[in-house]
Amino acid sequence: MLEFLKLPFMQRTLIGGELVAIIAGMVSPILVFRKMSFMSVGISHGTFAGIALGIFLGISPLWSSMAFAVGLGIWIGFTSKTGKISEDATIGTLFSFSMAFGIVLISLSKGYHPDVMGYLFGDLLAISPSDVYFASVILLITVLWYLFRGKAIVYATFDEDFSKIVGIHVDFDYYIFMAIMALITVAVVRFVGVVLASSIMIAPAASAKMLSKKFSRIVMIAIFFGMISIFFGIAFSFSLNIPSGPSVVFTVTTIFLISLIIKWIRGKRGSNNVKMV
Amino acid sequence: MKQFLEIKSVTAGYDGHVAISNISIKLELGKFHVIMGPNGGGKTTLIRAIAGLISYDGKIIVENVDIKKYRKKNSIGYLAQRGAQFYDFPLSALEVVEMGRYRFKETNHAKKEKSFEFLKEVRMASHAGVPIANLSGGQQQRVLIARALATESKLMLMDEPLTGMDPRTQSEFYEMLEHLKREHSLTVIISSHDVGFTTAYAENVFCINKCLVPHSEAVKLLEEPEITKLYGPNICLTKHYHTSSEEEDESEGEDA
Repeated sequence: MLEFLKLPFMQRTLIGGELVAIIAGMVSPILVFRKMSFMSVGISHGTFAGIALGIFLGISPLWSSMAFAVGLGIWIGFTSKTGKISEDATIGTLFSFSMAFGIVLISLSKGYHPDVMGYLFGDLLAISPSDVYFASVILLITVLWYLFRGKAIVYATFDEDFSKIVGIHVDFDYYIFMAIMALITVAVVRFVGVVLASSIMIAPAASAKMLSKKFSRIVMIAIFFGMISIFFGIAFSFSLNIPSGPSVVFTVTTIFLISLIIKWIRGKRGSNNVKMV
Repeated sequence: MKQFLEIKSVTAGYDGHVAISNISIKLELGKFHVIMGPNGGGKTTLIRAIAGLISYDGKIIVENVDIKKYRKKNSIGYLAQRGAQFYDFPLSALEVVEMGRYRFKETNHAKKEKSFEFLKEVRMASHAGVPIANLSGGQQQRVLIARALATESKLMLMDEPLTGMDPRTQSEFYEMLEHLKREHSLTVIISSHDVGFTTAYAENVFCINKCLVPHSEAVKLLEEPEITKLYGPNICLTKHYHTSSEEEDESEGEDA
Protein backbone atom coordinates (compact mmCIF):
# COMPACT_ATOMS: atom_id res chain seq x y z
CA MET A 1 0.00 0.00 0.00
CA LEU A 2 2.91 2.34 0.71
CA GLU A 3 4.69 1.59 -2.57
CA PHE A 4 3.54 4.92 -3.96
CA LEU A 5 5.98 6.67 -1.60
CA LYS A 6 8.88 5.38 -3.72
CA LEU A 7 7.69 7.30 -6.80
CA PRO A 8 9.08 10.85 -7.02
CA PHE A 9 5.91 12.37 -8.51
CA MET A 10 3.82 10.78 -5.77
CA GLN A 11 6.20 12.14 -3.13
CA ARG A 12 5.70 15.60 -4.63
CA THR A 13 1.94 15.13 -4.68
CA LEU A 14 1.93 13.94 -1.09
CA ILE A 15 4.02 16.89 0.13
CA GLY A 16 1.77 19.37 -1.73
CA GLY A 17 -1.36 17.63 -0.48
CA GLU A 18 -0.20 17.68 3.13
CA LEU A 19 0.63 21.39 2.84
CA VAL A 20 -2.89 22.02 1.56
CA ALA A 21 -4.35 19.94 4.43
CA ILE A 22 -2.42 22.04 6.98
CA ILE A 23 -3.61 25.34 5.47
CA ALA A 24 -7.23 24.18 5.20
CA GLY A 25 -7.13 22.83 8.75
CA MET A 26 -5.98 26.21 10.07
CA VAL A 27 -8.79 28.15 8.42
CA SER A 28 -11.67 25.70 8.24
CA PRO A 29 -12.66 25.87 11.96
CA ILE A 30 -13.31 29.61 11.53
CA LEU A 31 -15.41 28.87 8.44
CA VAL A 32 -17.44 26.27 10.32
CA PHE A 33 -18.01 28.41 13.42
CA ARG A 34 -18.97 31.43 11.30
CA LYS A 35 -21.43 29.17 9.46
CA MET A 36 -19.70 30.07 6.18
CA SER A 37 -19.36 26.54 4.79
CA PHE A 38 -21.59 27.27 1.80
CA MET A 39 -19.39 30.28 1.03
CA SER A 40 -16.40 27.99 0.45
CA VAL A 41 -18.54 25.92 -1.93
CA GLY A 42 -19.35 29.11 -3.85
CA ILE A 43 -15.72 30.21 -4.05
CA SER A 44 -14.42 26.78 -5.09
CA HIS A 45 -16.95 26.61 -7.93
CA GLY A 46 -16.12 30.21 -8.82
CA THR A 47 -12.48 29.28 -9.39
CA PHE A 48 -13.60 27.14 -12.33
CA ALA A 49 -14.59 30.28 -14.24
CA GLY A 50 -11.15 31.71 -13.42
CA ILE A 51 -9.43 28.56 -14.66
CA ALA A 52 -11.49 28.62 -17.88
CA LEU A 53 -10.68 32.30 -18.37
CA GLY A 54 -6.98 31.46 -18.13
CA ILE A 55 -7.36 28.67 -20.73
CA PHE A 56 -9.39 30.97 -22.99
CA LEU A 57 -6.89 33.83 -22.79
CA GLY A 58 -3.89 31.52 -23.01
CA ILE A 59 -2.48 32.61 -19.63
CA SER A 60 -1.71 30.50 -16.56
CA PRO A 61 -5.00 29.22 -15.07
CA LEU A 62 -3.39 29.54 -11.65
CA TRP A 63 -3.16 33.34 -11.89
CA SER A 64 -6.58 33.80 -13.45
CA SER A 65 -8.25 31.49 -10.91
CA MET A 66 -6.48 33.33 -8.08
CA ALA A 67 -7.72 36.71 -9.30
CA PHE A 68 -11.22 35.35 -9.88
CA ALA A 69 -11.44 33.58 -6.51
CA VAL A 70 -10.17 36.55 -4.48
CA GLY A 71 -12.55 38.92 -6.31
CA LEU A 72 -15.44 36.53 -5.79
CA GLY A 73 -14.56 35.96 -2.13
CA ILE A 74 -14.48 39.67 -1.36
CA TRP A 75 -17.69 40.26 -3.31
CA ILE A 76 -19.55 37.44 -1.52
CA GLY A 77 -18.19 38.80 1.76
CA PHE A 78 -19.39 42.30 0.90
CA THR A 79 -22.86 41.02 0.01
CA SER A 80 -23.00 39.03 3.24
CA LYS A 81 -21.79 41.99 5.37
CA THR A 82 -24.04 44.62 3.91
CA GLY A 83 -27.02 42.24 3.86
CA LYS A 84 -28.57 43.83 0.78
CA ILE A 85 -29.14 40.42 -0.81
CA SER A 86 -29.26 37.18 1.16
CA GLU A 87 -25.93 35.39 1.23
CA ASP A 88 -27.19 31.95 0.17
CA ALA A 89 -29.12 33.43 -2.76
CA THR A 90 -25.98 35.27 -3.95
CA ILE A 91 -23.77 32.19 -3.66
CA GLY A 92 -26.39 29.91 -5.23
CA THR A 93 -26.69 32.22 -8.23
CA LEU A 94 -22.97 32.92 -8.55
CA PHE A 95 -21.67 29.39 -8.39
CA SER A 96 -23.94 28.09 -11.13
CA PHE A 97 -23.06 31.18 -13.19
CA SER A 98 -19.34 30.52 -12.65
CA MET A 99 -19.67 26.93 -13.82
CA ALA A 100 -21.73 27.97 -16.86
CA PHE A 101 -19.31 30.79 -17.68
CA GLY A 102 -16.39 28.37 -17.38
CA ILE A 103 -17.97 25.79 -19.69
CA VAL A 104 -18.79 28.48 -22.28
CA LEU A 105 -15.22 29.83 -22.23
CA ILE A 106 -13.74 26.33 -22.57
CA SER A 107 -16.09 25.55 -25.48
CA LEU A 108 -14.97 28.75 -27.18
CA SER A 109 -11.27 28.01 -26.59
CA LYS A 110 -9.33 26.53 -29.46
CA GLY A 111 -7.72 23.09 -29.13
CA TYR A 112 -8.17 20.13 -26.81
CA HIS A 113 -8.14 20.65 -23.05
CA PRO A 114 -7.52 17.36 -21.32
CA ASP A 115 -6.99 18.94 -17.88
CA VAL A 116 -10.57 20.23 -17.48
CA MET A 117 -11.70 17.03 -15.72
CA GLY A 118 -8.62 17.33 -13.53
CA TYR A 119 -9.69 20.81 -12.48
CA LEU A 120 -13.20 19.58 -11.77
CA PHE A 121 -12.37 16.41 -9.80
CA GLY A 122 -8.66 16.66 -9.07
CA ASP A 123 -5.78 14.87 -10.78
CA LEU A 124 -2.75 13.98 -8.73
CA LEU A 125 -0.76 13.08 -11.85
CA ALA A 126 -1.12 16.69 -12.99
CA ILE A 127 0.45 18.17 -9.83
CA SER A 128 3.55 20.08 -10.86
CA PRO A 129 6.38 21.49 -8.72
CA SER A 130 4.85 24.95 -9.20
CA ASP A 131 1.64 23.73 -7.51
CA VAL A 132 3.71 22.64 -4.49
CA TYR A 133 5.53 26.01 -4.44
CA PHE A 134 2.17 27.77 -4.64
CA ALA A 135 0.85 25.72 -1.69
CA SER A 136 4.04 26.60 0.27
CA VAL A 137 3.55 30.33 -0.38
CA ILE A 138 -0.11 30.13 0.69
CA LEU A 139 0.95 28.25 3.84
CA LEU A 140 3.45 31.02 4.64
CA ILE A 141 0.79 33.72 4.09
CA THR A 142 -1.70 31.82 6.27
CA VAL A 143 0.82 31.31 9.09
CA LEU A 144 1.74 35.03 9.05
CA TRP A 145 -1.92 36.01 9.02
CA TYR A 146 -2.55 33.65 11.93
CA LEU A 147 0.32 35.14 13.92
CA PHE A 148 -0.70 38.76 13.40
CA ARG A 149 -4.49 38.64 13.07
CA GLY A 150 -5.44 35.16 14.38
CA LYS A 151 -6.61 36.37 17.79
CA ALA A 152 -8.59 39.22 16.24
CA ILE A 153 -10.47 36.93 13.85
CA VAL A 154 -11.18 34.44 16.65
CA TYR A 155 -12.54 37.23 18.86
CA ALA A 156 -14.63 38.65 16.00
CA THR A 157 -16.05 35.17 15.34
CA PHE A 158 -17.08 34.87 18.99
CA ASP A 159 -18.49 38.38 19.46
CA GLU A 160 -18.28 40.92 16.66
CA ASP A 161 -19.74 43.84 18.63
CA PHE A 162 -17.38 43.54 21.58
CA SER A 163 -14.45 43.07 19.19
CA LYS A 164 -15.29 46.44 17.61
CA ILE A 165 -15.46 48.01 21.07
CA VAL A 166 -11.98 46.83 22.03
CA GLY A 167 -10.56 48.31 18.83
CA ILE A 168 -10.45 45.37 16.40
CA HIS A 169 -11.00 46.44 12.77
CA VAL A 170 -13.59 43.73 12.29
CA ASP A 171 -14.58 44.55 8.69
CA PHE A 172 -10.98 44.87 7.47
CA ASP A 173 -10.07 41.53 9.10
CA TYR A 174 -13.13 39.92 7.56
CA TYR A 175 -12.16 40.92 4.00
CA ILE A 176 -8.57 39.79 4.57
CA PHE A 177 -9.95 36.47 5.82
CA MET A 178 -12.15 36.15 2.71
CA ALA A 179 -9.16 36.85 0.42
CA ILE A 180 -6.99 34.28 2.24
CA MET A 181 -9.80 31.75 2.14
CA ALA A 182 -10.10 32.28 -1.62
CA LEU A 183 -6.35 31.73 -2.11
CA ILE A 184 -6.50 28.56 -0.01
CA THR A 185 -9.44 27.33 -2.10
CA VAL A 186 -7.37 27.79 -5.29
CA ALA A 187 -4.60 25.66 -3.76
CA VAL A 188 -7.09 22.99 -2.63
CA VAL A 189 -8.77 22.90 -6.07
CA ARG A 190 -5.49 21.82 -7.71
CA PHE A 191 -5.47 18.69 -5.55
CA VAL A 192 -9.07 17.57 -5.23
CA GLY A 193 -10.81 19.65 -7.90
CA VAL A 194 -13.47 22.35 -7.99
CA VAL A 195 -16.39 20.07 -7.19
CA LEU A 196 -14.76 18.29 -4.25
CA ALA A 197 -12.69 21.13 -2.72
CA SER A 198 -15.28 22.08 -0.13
CA SER A 199 -14.95 18.67 1.54
CA ILE A 200 -11.30 19.38 2.49
CA MET A 201 -12.29 22.93 3.48
CA ILE A 202 -15.15 21.89 5.75
CA ALA A 203 -15.23 18.20 6.81
CA PRO A 204 -11.99 18.09 8.90
CA ALA A 205 -13.12 21.07 11.01
CA ALA A 206 -16.71 19.81 11.25
CA SER A 207 -15.32 16.48 12.53
CA ALA A 208 -12.92 18.17 14.97
CA LYS A 209 -15.72 20.37 16.32
CA MET A 210 -17.55 17.24 17.41
CA LEU A 211 -14.56 15.98 19.39
CA SER A 212 -13.31 19.03 21.31
CA LYS A 213 -14.55 22.19 22.97
CA LYS A 214 -11.24 24.05 22.85
CA PHE A 215 -10.55 26.15 19.75
CA SER A 216 -6.78 25.57 19.56
CA ARG A 217 -7.38 21.82 19.92
CA ILE A 218 -10.04 21.89 17.19
CA VAL A 219 -7.53 23.52 14.83
CA MET A 220 -4.90 20.86 15.61
CA ILE A 221 -7.41 18.00 15.15
CA ALA A 222 -8.68 19.54 11.87
CA ILE A 223 -5.10 19.73 10.55
CA PHE A 224 -4.48 16.11 11.61
CA PHE A 225 -7.70 14.85 10.01
CA GLY A 226 -6.92 16.73 6.80
CA MET A 227 -3.41 15.28 6.67
CA ILE A 228 -4.45 11.67 7.22
CA SER A 229 -7.28 12.10 4.68
CA ILE A 230 -4.80 13.25 2.06
CA PHE A 231 -2.35 10.45 2.91
CA PHE A 232 -4.87 7.62 2.84
CA GLY A 233 -6.77 9.20 -0.03
CA ILE A 234 -3.63 9.15 -2.17
CA ALA A 235 -2.69 5.67 -0.97
CA PHE A 236 -6.12 4.22 -1.84
CA SER A 237 -6.16 6.09 -5.14
CA PHE A 238 -2.81 4.51 -6.06
CA SER A 239 -3.45 0.98 -4.84
CA LEU A 240 -7.08 0.72 -6.07
CA ASN A 241 -6.44 2.71 -9.27
CA ILE A 242 -9.30 5.14 -8.62
CA PRO A 243 -9.33 8.95 -9.10
CA SER A 244 -7.57 10.79 -6.29
CA GLY A 245 -10.17 13.52 -5.56
CA PRO A 246 -13.03 11.13 -4.76
CA SER A 247 -10.62 8.88 -2.84
CA VAL A 248 -9.62 11.79 -0.55
CA VAL A 249 -13.29 12.77 -0.14
CA PHE A 250 -14.24 9.19 0.83
CA THR A 251 -11.53 9.19 3.50
CA VAL A 252 -12.47 12.58 4.92
CA THR A 253 -16.16 11.62 4.98
CA THR A 254 -15.34 8.36 6.79
CA ILE A 255 -13.52 10.40 9.46
CA PHE A 256 -16.57 12.68 9.69
CA LEU A 257 -18.88 9.68 10.22
CA ILE A 258 -16.57 8.15 12.85
CA SER A 259 -16.49 11.53 14.69
CA LEU A 260 -20.28 11.64 14.54
CA ILE A 261 -20.48 8.15 16.10
CA ILE A 262 -17.97 9.12 18.84
CA LYS A 263 -20.01 12.22 19.62
CA TRP A 264 -23.20 10.18 19.75
CA ILE A 265 -21.60 7.58 22.11
CA ARG A 266 -20.28 10.37 24.36
CA GLY A 267 -23.73 11.98 24.44
CA LYS A 268 -25.32 8.64 25.28
CA ARG A 269 -22.82 8.05 28.13
CA GLY A 270 -23.45 11.57 29.43
CA SER A 271 -27.22 11.10 29.51
CA ASN A 272 -26.81 7.67 31.20
CA ASN A 273 -24.68 9.28 33.93
CA VAL A 274 -27.37 11.92 34.48
CA LYS A 275 -30.00 9.16 34.85
CA MET A 276 -27.82 7.31 37.40
CA VAL A 277 -27.46 10.50 39.50
CA MET B 1 -22.12 65.55 41.33
CA LYS B 2 -19.77 65.62 38.35
CA GLN B 3 -21.20 65.13 34.88
CA PHE B 4 -19.70 62.11 33.09
CA LEU B 5 -21.58 61.70 29.83
CA GLU B 6 -23.77 63.98 27.76
CA ILE B 7 -26.02 62.92 24.91
CA LYS B 8 -26.87 65.94 22.73
CA SER B 9 -29.78 65.76 20.27
CA VAL B 10 -29.03 62.21 19.18
CA THR B 11 -31.13 60.67 16.40
CA ALA B 12 -30.42 57.12 15.20
CA GLY B 13 -32.06 54.16 13.52
CA TYR B 14 -31.72 51.30 11.09
CA ASP B 15 -32.38 51.10 7.32
CA GLY B 16 -34.09 54.48 7.15
CA HIS B 17 -36.28 53.76 10.19
CA VAL B 18 -35.80 56.26 13.03
CA ALA B 19 -35.61 54.37 16.33
CA ILE B 20 -34.69 57.32 18.58
CA SER B 21 -35.23 60.97 17.80
CA ASN B 22 -33.55 64.03 19.27
CA ILE B 23 -32.57 62.50 22.60
CA SER B 24 -30.67 64.74 25.03
CA ILE B 25 -29.55 63.40 28.41
CA LYS B 26 -26.90 64.33 30.98
CA LEU B 27 -25.50 61.49 33.09
CA GLU B 28 -23.66 61.90 36.36
CA LEU B 29 -20.44 60.13 37.23
CA GLY B 30 -20.57 57.00 39.38
CA LYS B 31 -24.31 56.48 39.27
CA PHE B 32 -26.59 53.64 38.28
CA HIS B 33 -28.64 54.97 35.35
CA VAL B 34 -31.49 53.01 33.83
CA ILE B 35 -32.93 53.55 30.36
CA MET B 36 -36.47 52.27 30.56
CA GLY B 37 -39.04 51.83 27.87
CA PRO B 38 -41.24 49.40 25.96
CA ASN B 39 -40.01 46.94 23.33
CA GLY B 40 -39.16 48.87 20.17
CA GLY B 41 -38.85 52.09 22.16
CA GLY B 42 -35.20 52.60 21.18
CA LYS B 43 -33.33 51.43 24.32
CA THR B 44 -30.98 49.12 22.40
CA THR B 45 -30.43 51.74 19.70
CA LEU B 46 -29.36 54.32 22.29
CA ILE B 47 -27.02 51.86 24.05
CA ARG B 48 -25.51 50.81 20.70
CA ALA B 49 -25.06 54.45 19.67
CA ILE B 50 -23.14 55.19 22.89
CA ALA B 51 -21.06 52.02 22.36
CA GLY B 52 -20.19 53.20 18.84
CA LEU B 53 -21.80 50.21 17.15
CA ILE B 54 -24.16 52.26 14.99
CA SER B 55 -23.90 55.70 13.42
CA TYR B 56 -26.04 58.58 14.67
CA ASP B 57 -26.73 62.28 14.22
CA GLY B 58 -25.96 64.53 17.17
CA LYS B 59 -23.17 64.42 19.72
CA ILE B 60 -22.17 62.15 22.58
CA ILE B 61 -19.60 63.66 24.95
CA VAL B 62 -17.77 61.65 27.58
CA GLU B 63 -15.49 63.38 30.10
CA ASN B 64 -15.60 66.50 27.87
CA VAL B 65 -14.34 64.58 24.82
CA ASP B 66 -16.41 63.50 21.81
CA ILE B 67 -17.01 59.79 22.31
CA LYS B 68 -15.81 58.99 18.76
CA LYS B 69 -12.40 60.41 19.71
CA TYR B 70 -12.57 58.84 23.19
CA ARG B 71 -13.18 55.37 21.73
CA LYS B 72 -10.01 55.51 19.60
CA LYS B 73 -7.91 55.17 22.75
CA ASN B 74 -10.36 53.68 25.25
CA SER B 75 -12.65 50.68 25.28
CA ILE B 76 -16.10 50.81 26.81
CA GLY B 77 -17.50 48.13 29.10
CA TYR B 78 -20.35 46.59 27.12
CA LEU B 79 -22.77 43.77 27.74
CA ALA B 80 -25.05 42.94 24.82
CA GLN B 81 -28.63 41.75 25.09
CA ARG B 82 -28.75 38.20 26.46
CA GLY B 83 -28.64 35.63 23.69
CA ALA B 84 -27.00 38.00 21.21
CA GLN B 85 -23.57 36.39 21.64
CA PHE B 86 -22.23 33.43 19.75
CA TYR B 87 -21.93 31.06 22.73
CA ASP B 88 -21.37 28.01 20.52
CA PHE B 89 -17.78 29.17 19.95
CA PRO B 90 -15.31 27.12 22.03
CA LEU B 91 -13.64 29.76 24.23
CA SER B 92 -13.08 29.21 27.95
CA ALA B 93 -14.35 31.73 30.51
CA LEU B 94 -10.77 33.00 30.97
CA GLU B 95 -10.26 33.41 27.20
CA VAL B 96 -13.50 35.37 26.97
CA VAL B 97 -12.33 37.77 29.71
CA GLU B 98 -8.98 38.14 27.91
CA MET B 99 -10.87 39.80 25.05
CA GLY B 100 -11.27 42.82 27.31
CA ARG B 101 -7.46 43.13 27.53
CA TYR B 102 -7.00 43.21 23.71
CA ARG B 103 -6.00 46.87 23.62
CA PHE B 104 -3.48 46.63 26.45
CA LYS B 105 0.16 46.33 25.51
CA GLU B 106 1.16 43.58 27.94
CA THR B 107 2.46 40.03 27.73
CA ASN B 108 0.07 37.12 27.26
CA HIS B 109 0.94 35.98 30.77
CA ALA B 110 0.00 39.38 32.23
CA LYS B 111 -3.24 39.33 30.21
CA LYS B 112 -4.12 35.95 31.68
CA GLU B 113 -3.26 36.99 35.24
CA LYS B 114 -5.29 40.20 35.05
CA SER B 115 -8.21 38.38 33.45
CA PHE B 116 -8.14 35.80 36.21
CA GLU B 117 -8.32 38.59 38.81
CA PHE B 118 -11.48 39.94 37.13
CA LEU B 119 -12.97 36.44 37.10
CA LYS B 120 -12.30 36.29 40.86
CA GLU B 121 -14.19 39.53 41.33
CA VAL B 122 -17.33 38.05 39.80
CA ARG B 123 -16.82 34.79 41.72
CA MET B 124 -16.12 32.75 38.59
CA ALA B 125 -12.42 31.92 39.13
CA SER B 126 -13.23 28.24 39.68
CA HIS B 127 -14.78 28.15 36.19
CA ALA B 128 -11.83 29.80 34.40
CA GLY B 129 -11.12 26.80 32.15
CA VAL B 130 -14.74 25.89 31.45
CA PRO B 131 -16.03 26.56 27.91
CA ILE B 132 -18.50 29.44 28.04
CA ALA B 133 -21.10 27.29 26.28
CA ASN B 134 -21.12 24.93 29.29
CA LEU B 135 -21.99 27.66 31.81
CA SER B 136 -25.50 28.60 32.91
CA GLY B 137 -27.09 31.86 31.73
CA GLY B 138 -26.29 33.63 35.02
CA GLN B 139 -22.69 32.40 35.00
CA GLN B 140 -22.22 33.51 31.38
CA GLN B 141 -23.42 36.99 32.32
CA ARG B 142 -20.93 37.15 35.21
CA VAL B 143 -18.09 36.17 32.84
CA LEU B 144 -19.21 38.89 30.43
CA ILE B 145 -19.21 41.42 33.28
CA ALA B 146 -15.64 40.34 34.08
CA ARG B 147 -14.80 40.92 30.40
CA ALA B 148 -16.33 44.40 30.53
CA LEU B 149 -14.37 45.14 33.74
CA ALA B 150 -11.18 43.90 32.04
CA THR B 151 -11.37 46.87 29.65
CA GLU B 152 -10.79 49.09 32.74
CA SER B 153 -13.44 51.43 31.41
CA LYS B 154 -15.29 53.65 33.87
CA LEU B 155 -18.39 53.39 31.70
CA MET B 156 -20.41 50.17 31.74
CA LEU B 157 -23.21 49.75 29.18
CA MET B 158 -25.66 46.90 29.59
CA ASP B 159 -28.46 46.11 27.19
CA GLU B 160 -31.23 44.17 28.95
CA PRO B 161 -28.72 41.76 30.46
CA LEU B 162 -31.20 39.77 32.50
CA THR B 163 -33.94 38.93 30.04
CA GLY B 164 -35.34 35.49 30.80
CA MET B 165 -33.57 35.05 34.15
CA ASP B 166 -35.27 34.04 37.37
CA PRO B 167 -35.81 36.69 40.11
CA ARG B 168 -33.11 35.30 42.44
CA THR B 169 -30.45 35.42 39.67
CA GLN B 170 -31.58 38.94 38.77
CA SER B 171 -31.34 40.03 42.39
CA GLU B 172 -27.84 38.53 42.77
CA PHE B 173 -26.79 40.18 39.52
CA TYR B 174 -27.85 43.64 40.67
CA GLU B 175 -26.25 43.15 44.13
CA MET B 176 -22.96 42.25 42.45
CA LEU B 177 -23.24 45.14 40.03
CA GLU B 178 -23.85 47.56 42.89
CA HIS B 179 -20.70 46.26 44.62
CA LEU B 180 -18.57 46.48 41.45
CA LYS B 181 -19.86 49.98 40.74
CA ARG B 182 -18.58 51.14 44.14
CA GLU B 183 -15.28 49.24 43.90
CA HIS B 184 -14.37 50.48 40.41
CA SER B 185 -16.13 53.89 40.48
CA LEU B 186 -18.21 52.83 37.49
CA THR B 187 -20.93 54.78 35.75
CA VAL B 188 -23.48 52.14 34.81
CA ILE B 189 -26.09 52.57 32.07
CA ILE B 190 -28.48 49.68 31.85
CA SER B 191 -31.50 49.29 29.61
CA SER B 192 -34.51 47.52 31.04
CA HIS B 193 -38.26 47.29 30.89
CA ASP B 194 -38.45 45.74 34.34
CA VAL B 195 -40.08 48.38 36.53
CA GLY B 196 -39.64 46.40 39.77
CA PHE B 197 -35.88 45.94 39.70
CA THR B 198 -35.41 49.42 38.32
CA THR B 199 -37.10 51.00 41.35
CA ALA B 200 -35.01 48.84 43.69
CA TYR B 201 -31.56 49.63 42.30
CA ALA B 202 -31.60 52.61 39.90
CA GLU B 203 -30.42 56.03 41.03
CA ASN B 204 -31.64 57.69 37.88
CA VAL B 205 -34.21 56.64 35.29
CA PHE B 206 -34.61 57.84 31.71
CA CYS B 207 -37.79 56.73 30.03
CA ILE B 208 -37.64 56.58 26.25
CA ASN B 209 -40.19 55.67 23.67
CA LYS B 210 -38.51 56.89 20.46
CA CYS B 211 -37.93 60.22 22.22
CA LEU B 212 -37.20 61.04 25.83
CA VAL B 213 -40.40 60.86 27.91
CA PRO B 214 -39.75 61.79 31.59
CA HIS B 215 -36.54 61.42 33.54
CA SER B 216 -35.87 61.70 37.23
CA GLU B 217 -34.77 59.68 40.25
CA ALA B 218 -36.40 56.26 40.07
CA VAL B 219 -38.50 56.55 43.24
CA LYS B 220 -39.90 59.94 42.23
CA LEU B 221 -40.51 59.07 38.62
CA LEU B 222 -42.17 55.71 38.61
CA GLU B 223 -45.71 56.78 39.36
CA GLU B 224 -48.74 55.73 37.40
CA PRO B 225 -49.06 58.73 35.02
CA GLU B 226 -45.45 58.34 33.80
CA ILE B 227 -45.72 54.58 33.45
CA THR B 228 -48.95 55.01 31.48
CA LYS B 229 -47.22 57.59 29.28
CA LEU B 230 -44.48 55.08 28.59
CA TYR B 231 -46.24 51.74 28.25
CA GLY B 232 -49.78 52.82 27.27
CA PRO B 233 -53.12 53.11 29.10
CA ASN B 234 -53.76 49.38 29.60
CA ILE B 235 -50.97 48.91 32.11
CA CYS B 236 -51.91 47.60 35.57
CA LEU B 237 -49.47 48.52 38.37
CA THR B 238 -49.01 46.23 41.37
CA LYS B 239 -46.66 47.48 44.09
CA HIS B 240 -44.31 44.99 45.68
CA TYR B 241 -41.16 45.42 47.72
CA HIS B 242 -37.73 43.90 47.21
CA THR B 243 -35.66 42.66 50.11
CA SER B 244 -32.13 41.30 50.32
CA SER B 245 -31.75 37.60 49.45
CA GLU B 246 -31.26 36.59 53.15
CA GLU B 247 -34.51 38.24 54.15
CA GLU B 248 -36.33 36.92 51.11
CA ASP B 249 -37.20 33.52 52.57
CA GLU B 250 -38.51 34.99 55.81
CA SER B 251 -40.66 37.61 54.14
CA GLU B 252 -42.28 35.37 51.50
CA GLY B 253 -45.94 36.18 51.06
CA GLU B 254 -45.55 39.73 52.32
CA ASP B 255 -45.56 41.21 48.82
CA ALA B 256 -48.58 43.35 48.21
